[in-house]
Amino acid sequence: MANVNTKISWVYLTSKIRQLIVAVLSVTFGISMYIFMNSFMNGVNGAQTEITFTTMAHIRVYNELGGEPTILIPQNGGSDTLLSVSNARHISYTEGIRNADEVVQVLQKHREVVAVTEQVSQNVFFRNGVTKVSGTLSGIAVTNEIRMFNTMQYMTEGDLNELERRSDAVVLGTGLADKLSASVGDNVTLTTSDGVSKILKVTGLIQTGTGSVDKSRALISINTARQLLSKNKSYATEVLANIGDYNKAKAIAGAISPDIKYKTEAWQEGNGQLESANTLRDIIAIAVSLTILIVAGFGIYNIMNMTVSEKIREIAILKAMGFDGKDIVQIFLVQSVIIGLIGGFIGLLLGFTIASIVDRIPFKIASLDTLPISYLPADYILAMVFGLIITFVAGYLPARKASKIDPVEILRG
Amino acid sequence: MNTALSAKGLNKYFHEPDTFQVLRDVGFEVKKGEFVAIVGKSGSGKSTLLYLLSTMDTNYQGSIAINGTTVTGLSQNELSRFRNAHIGFVFQFHYLLAEFSVLDNVMLPALKLGKKSKELIEAKAMELLTMLDIRGHEMKKASKISGGQQQRVAIARALINEPAIIMGDEPTGNLDSQNTKVVFDIFRQLAHETGQTIIAVTHDDEFAANCDRIIEMVDGKIMS
Repeated sequence: MANVNTKISWVYLTSKIRQLIVAVLSVTFGISMYIFMNSFMNGVNGAQTEITFTTMAHIRVYNELGGEPTILIPQNGGSDTLLSVSNARHISYTEGIRNADEVVQVLQKHREVVAVTEQVSQNVFFRNGVTKVSGTLSGIAVTNEIRMFNTMQYMTEGDLNELERRSDAVVLGTGLADKLSASVGDNVTLTTSDGVSKILKVTGLIQTGTGSVDKSRALISINTARQLLSKNKSYATEVLANIGDYNKAKAIAGAISPDIKYKTEAWQEGNGQLESANTLRDIIAIAVSLTILIVAGFGIYNIMNMTVSEKIREIAILKAMGFDGKDIVQIFLVQSVIIGLIGGFIGLLLGFTIASIVDRIPFKIASLDTLPISYLPADYILAMVFGLIITFVAGYLPARKASKIDPVEILRG
Repeated sequence: MNTALSAKGLNKYFHEPDTFQVLRDVGFEVKKGEFVAIVGKSGSGKSTLLYLLSTMDTNYQGSIAINGTTVTGLSQNELSRFRNAHIGFVFQFHYLLAEFSVLDNVMLPALKLGKKSKELIEAKAMELLTMLDIRGHEMKKASKISGGQQQRVAIARALINEPAIIMGDEPTGNLDSQNTKVVFDIFRQLAHETGQTIIAVTHDDEFAANCDRIIEMVDGKIMS
């Protein structure tokens, strides 16, 4: 019985090829745009995040200064005692993390943590001749640093491993090197805030893609940095950790923080603008692509409505012959579902094709070579689901109208 | 079980534009194998009566029984199944499905009924097409054959489920005299040879005169 209805649907559908093609194309267009828009936006989000994480870790542990000033005179609580300390301030504090190894061990114990590295960062002045530039000097543990940030990839000149081999080697950000007019092989002088000076040899240049970082950061070996600050061998200003899925950073930072006496910060805390930009782009992509799908739905609604009006006499005779309302709904609904399925599958392919073509368009800004595109199965599944829901609704309304036709009215003429 | 159809106390009103009584206490019986013509002037209520009997119009007072089943009060879905199995329709206009082949048009009601295999249905359809002399056109689209042939295809479609009653609304209204005679002879043969009951509304006096019985409607009442 269902077979008869499907057969009728199929004949109706295939008897007007041009109309069928238009209906299928509208769905195809809607679904492919949905896929393209979302792939592109996800790609942009991904590229943005990737650039950010070339210099930023998912979780950062550091010694946060501030808080309540030192209590000089303890309150002894007598109600007849008046106690006043004016201009209270810290009189002693520890800078940085004194025993970083301990922190590293705690972090490494956590299952989700994939990489940990220590850094000793300080603000210094670089000098080359009369040029004087302030910047950040990061002492890095080279092997761990590479594992974490894939730093090698961003070296434009020289070898990062040179830092391990010689204690006077420095790698400059490309922007910083420009400001200093220094190139590989040159010597630069740096002065710390405590007045310690050291002459370093430029052994490489690095470009991460984040302009502000490239203009101010220089890398040296972590041990040289400790020496400059006269600190012990386990000293670090911050311990950085990367985890499997960066979206989980907040939860994991929260879980780790009770075991560490320093401040444990997830990347989102300091970078709200990144997260909100990602979310906004997602909302725009979904809004635009759903609008396109809904317009496609109106197209199908229109076509199915015309078909029902055209076939009104045939619907009446089918009802006279014994087809009931449900059969009529089925006959017309099957047509729009078939349109949705055909249009949907072609749309998936077209969407993938458009995405992969755009993926090849050259786009040379920062560390990008081509426009960023991501290929997420979820986008394809959702596109198909939304497409089918919309064609179903757009087909159901005319089908229900058809099922309500009173055959007597039509057949009596 | 010699009665094919019985109608009792049928009353029907139209409410648009004014309330108007179309049928006034109509009651009659039709025996099995009878060939009945319903005649009357325009507005006498003969078509309205036929559509009540056909079970498509359920908005009336009174009761109708077909083949021993009281159809009054059944749900729309039950009536659909009932029509499918027990009633065949032939209208003034053929109402074939234009995009289907002649054969498919004839087979549709039987495929819907689903009591026989597709092969048996096809064989039965071919038999009917042969009987109605449309053999050789079965694979053509329904819109590509002549008016007389189309009407005969519509008759074949009405017969495919071997209904107890065949109802016609001006079944020859659009046909020339030759085709009218052909259709009339088919009805006559069905009534006499296979014992199917035929009720046809007609304007054609000659057609009516040759039937077994004439029911004449005047102002919503049966005259004869």
